[in-house]
Amino acid sequence: MSNIHLEISPLPERNPERSFTPEQLVWTDEERARIDAYRASYPEAEAAVMRLLWMAQEKFGWLAPEVIQLVADTLGIPYAHAYGVATFYTMYFKEPKGRFVLDVCTGHSCQVCGAYDRMAHLEKTLGVHMGETTDDGQFTLQEAECLGACGTGPMLQITNGRYVHNLTDEKLDRMVATLRETGSWPFESVTLPQDEDEMQGNRRSDAEATEKAIPAPFFHSLGGHRHDAAPSHDPLHEGTEGA
Amino acid sequence: MEAPKQTPTSKAGDWRSYQRVILPPVRDLHLLDVALRNGAYTALEKILKEGWERKRLVDEVKASGLRGRGGAGFSTGLKWSFMPPDKPGQPRYLACNGDESEPGTFKDRQIFEYNPHLLFEGMMMGAYGIGAHTAYLYVRGEYADYISHMERELAKAYAKGLVGKNLFGTGWDCDIVIHKGAGAYICGEESSLMESLEGKRAYPRIKPPFPAQKGLWANPTTINNVETLACVPLIVHKGASWFAGLGAPKHPGPLLYGVSGHVNRPGVYEYPTGMLLTDLIYEVCGGIRGGKKLKAVVPGGSSVPVLTAEMCEGVTMDAESMRDGGSMLGTAGVLVMDEDVDMVSFLRRTTHFYHHESCGQCTPCREGTGWLEKLVTRIDEGEGNLRDLDLLISLCDNMEGRTVCALADAAAWPVRWTVTRFRSEFEAKCKPSLVPGGFVSPETLGEAVADPGYVLSD
Ligand SMILES: Cc1cc2nc3c(=O)[nH]c(=O)nc-3n(C[C@H](O)[C@H](O)[C@H](O)COP(=O)(O)O)c2cc1C
Ligand code: SF4
Ligand code: FES
Repeated sequence: MSNIHLEISPLPERNPERSFTPEQLVWTDEERARIDAYRASYPEAEAAVMRLLWMAQEKFGWLAPEVIQLVADTLGIPYAHAYGVATFYTMYFKEPKGRFVLDVCTGHSCQVCGAYDRMAHLEKTLGVHMGETTDDGQFTLQEAECLGACGTGPMLQITNGRYVHNLTDEKLDRMVATLRETGSWPFESVTLPQDEDEMQGNRRSDAEATEKAIPAPFFHSLGGHRHDAAPSHDPLHEGTEGA
Repeated sequence: MEAPKQTPTSKAGDWRSYQRVILPPVRDLHLLDVALRNGAYTALEKILKEGWERKRLVDEVKASGLRGRGGAGFSTGLKWSFMPPDKPGQPRYLACNGDESEPGTFKDRQIFEYNPHLLFEGMMMGAYGIGAHTAYLYVRGEYADYISHMERELAKAYAKGLVGKNLFGTGWDCDIVIHKGAGAYICGEESSLMESLEGKRAYPRIKPPFPAQKGLWANPTTINNVETLACVPLIVHKGASWFAGLGAPKHPGPLLYGVSGHVNRPGVYEYPTGMLLTDLIYEVCGGIRGGKKLKAVVPGGSSVPVLTAEMCEGVTMDAESMRDGGSMLGTAGVLVMDEDVDMVSFLRRTTHFYHHESCGQCTPCREGTGWLEKLVTRIDEGEGNLRDLDLLISLCDNMEGRTVCALADAAAWPVRWTVTRFRSEFEAKCKPSLVPGGFVSPETLGEAVADPGYVLSD
């Protein structure tokens, strides 16, 4: 009662700092052609928003407000709609992540096959807790729900792409080292047990050919976790041009 | 394979000499030219060139006895026949459900990787059966590698004129569009899937109206699972009676069994429906790892009731037998657990899943899944009271059948049945209680007498 002068915590900046400059927020001609194809796949523009958010995330690394604005403007839909979609689905990154996001499945089947032990091993080797990013910005460690590869659990996924099956601590060490060195991990085609019996192994002759580097998004090629951005202004109100 | 010892109660017939049809042993079958040499797209060609009436195909699928492989096991032919009569100018859609997010389920992915052309053909035949010219394939976003793999193959099929306009010169058109999800279990629920396809937040819709009346963009729509549609070309090739004669009479056909957990050879196996669960575990998958004892099986994805080892004896993998045996066939994603599994910790992770995946529209689901998780977590950490077990069951009562979609039911079933069937394990983790006969303090005595259902904890 005597002390009514409670300290008021400062309000957050109204205008979030931008991570991308307007010059960066453009589509190439090739990307425009893909966008047109996605747009033409549906009777309404709105439906293409999920594909465009994917394209934007692959290009920029994460969905900063100005990136979502770019998607909304490209399709001619409200920012609020695109933002709503981006925040509903867990695979869209709403904040910057490490170059490699390791989604360790701890679902149902993987859980009983030791997923939490593998997670603990990764926490120890990377020196971060589940949900954190390493200081060098290389690895973000996350927990994932069932990824649909339960027969080869425990398993994980690298940055919403490649699956790594049948994890052991030794395989994890190898994977972390390989990713640091080469930036890639081969596609692993899971051999059906019946194929093993009837075809003496995997049925695909091209599974290896699918191996390719996991492309570093534009954002990481700029070399940082938060690079010095353009003067901040409010993407909510200004659209993508200006600055 | 050893000499057949036909188990009298198996409904899968001579499964040891079964020849696979959904994933036949053909090297590189996923490549279009190999698929074409092995008869891909000829069932579609046949119905188009012979000018089948739409109804003829629907009747054929009805006669085959094909039931949905997405979990609910509804008759596919019957579902197709729910589509209303054509209205000029009104588009109709087929949506193929490849969301595959039910924990323990990983069969559709094998079709994506190893036999995508069978799926494309089945989708177009499904579209033909319901009078649609666009078929959307909704694939969970995590399957990114499989999506690019399928996009490559689909582009080849378009280039060869096997998908798209004027197919086989008959003037019939059909487009296939692959829609990439972005990580939400709820998108597997059919009305939520349609919201997601329309590019929205995937909140399930209230039914009725059903998708056949008002589906995608308010037009008539049918939704089928990947494996369901992959069966359709096989039915036309080999005949409805072949299909109906395979496996369990009331739930016939080939089935992809995805076995995971503590077996020696986990993986996806193709056999007729109606396999004895014990044959699947001990013979097909080589038994329990490390010679351990079987403790429990979740036979159809994480939402179906868990079976104790004793309950596994004699049940077969078809909807009727599973129901009588105390569970459900679901997606036939069988999780096998050995004697070392702590059922409380196991259930804790499952409740976390449903809490995480609830879309939050309905109060019983949004709040209930959170409560389930909190209570099971508390018990798992040794802080639970015995009465929490009854509270869990009562929560389930208040969730089941009271929500927009079936996720709330799917969240409640595992809790209800794991707590019921492994109750002593849960009790052992609860705080020691002052049961009648033990010491009761005068203050708490009043409470205990006032509430007969109350078991005192210290
Ligand atoms: C919460 C929830 C999740 C579901 N997830 C899937 C899924 O991932 N894949 C699927 O095919 N069906 C799923 N279903 C069932 C679908 O709603 C729908 O019944 C099914 O796709 C119909 O296809 P079918 O008749 O061929 O089985 C789910 C249902 C619910 C309630
Ligand atoms: S039951 Fe749960 S998931 Fe389904 S609509 Fe309601 S809140 Fe959403
Ligand atoms: S539980 Fe891990 S992939 Fe299904």
